[in-house]
Amino acid sequence: MAGVSAKAITTRIRTLRSTRQITKAMEMVASSKLRRAQARIVSSRPYFNIIYGVIQDIAAANREHTLPYLACEKNCADKITYVVIAGDRGLAGGYNSNILNKCYAETAGCACEVLPIGKKAVDFFSARGTALLSTNYAGAEHVDVGDCFTLARSLCRRFRRGECKEVRIGYTNFASVLTQTPVTLKLLPLEGGHSAPGASADILYEPSSEEVFETIIPEYIGGVIYGALCESRASEQAARRGAMDTATQNADDMIADLSLKYNRARQAAITQEITEIVAGSQS
Amino acid sequence: MSTFSLKIVTPDGVQFDGECEALTVRTTSGEMGILPGHINCVSPLGMGRASISVNGEKRYAACMGGILTVLNGEVRLVPTTFEWADEIDMERAKDSETRARKTLGDSRITEVEQRLAEARLKRALVRQGVGTQMRVK
Repeated sequence: MAGVSAKAITTRIRTLRSTRQITKAMEMVASSKLRRAQARIVSSRPYFNIIYGVIQDIAAANREHTLPYLACEKNCADKITYVVIAGDRGLAGGYNSNILNKCYAETAGCACEVLPIGKKAVDFFSARGTALLSTNYAGAEHVDVGDCFTLARSLCRRFRRGECKEVRIGYTNFASVLTQTPVTLKLLPLEGGHSAPGASADILYEPSSEEVFETIIPEYIGGVIYGALCESRASEQAARRGAMDTATQNADDMIADLSLKYNRARQAAITQEITEIVAGSQS
Repeated sequence: MSTFSLKIVTPDGVQFDGECEALTVRTTSGEMGILPGHINCVSPLGMGRASISVNGEKRYAACMGGILTVLNGEVRLVPTTFEWADEIDMERAKDSETRARKTLGDSRITEVEQRLAEARLKRALVRQGVGTQMRVK
């Protein structure tokens, strides 16, 4: 134990204890937020699945190839619009970097513009000089259903005006509390025209097919963005909970290790003192 | 009486999932009634009252925005908001109406603000309409 005084060790232990307190508190906050986010997912997932299914069915059964949103507009710009959902804060393990790097790798080498949601996404893409559509959604926690629909409408308008050839969304899928996977999904143009088995006969569009598509596609995109947002939020909390749990455990290990060292140092000091006293009395 | 399967799902969760005898909803082109054996159809929803008959009993709801699809006898109603008549918060709807009217009374509002306020007013009125009808009965 030479070189490390008992005093230095106690100071380190004290610092570690306070760090541990912080990580423990963050873990608990993340757990309670995660519970709420999970409840949201459970209620929004059916909507997400049904609206996705409905649109796929319609697109597959569709035989009119002139409908909007099924293909990109003529003379459209050679650009892809990405909606990227990340978090507002760090200390969430690999949550932010996983999704941001995945999207960045995909955007590299092609003309694209990004609509970031969450402060981390805004910072990441502006630091790399990617063209940003808007920075109004820097607070991922404050984006609500209404914002999703507004955003969807503006994305659809851009697509219809031919300002981009594709719209994609990057978010983190909440597979379970322990696994979250970053994914990218193509929103527009819709895959369609090829009649899927089972999708029978013609569909009556009321009032007209163009009008129906004009109205329901923005609804659909809004629904999907909202669903992706719910998934991402839950993933963020789960990732943070995991990261903080590990940090707390590491702090525990270090405290145990240092306590052992401290006791040894104390014992060594006592032994030395006794030796000195004994040596002194003998002389 | 013959029935068809109906699913009503909103971003807040599944509102209804089961067999139903008749459904009336307000689409953008007017009221639309669905009975068993309906032709495949897709229509965007407007804002208005929806009524659903289950076991001979009619239930009402305020249903705003979204999509109605009938595909191979299965009906899926995917509105943005859907509230059963007995769940409507009348106080909130009244508040929302007063606020919307106040915004509309202001001459300096932008076009977007006006559109939003008009939509809010309409939603508040539909909610109140459906809610009152429920309470009168």
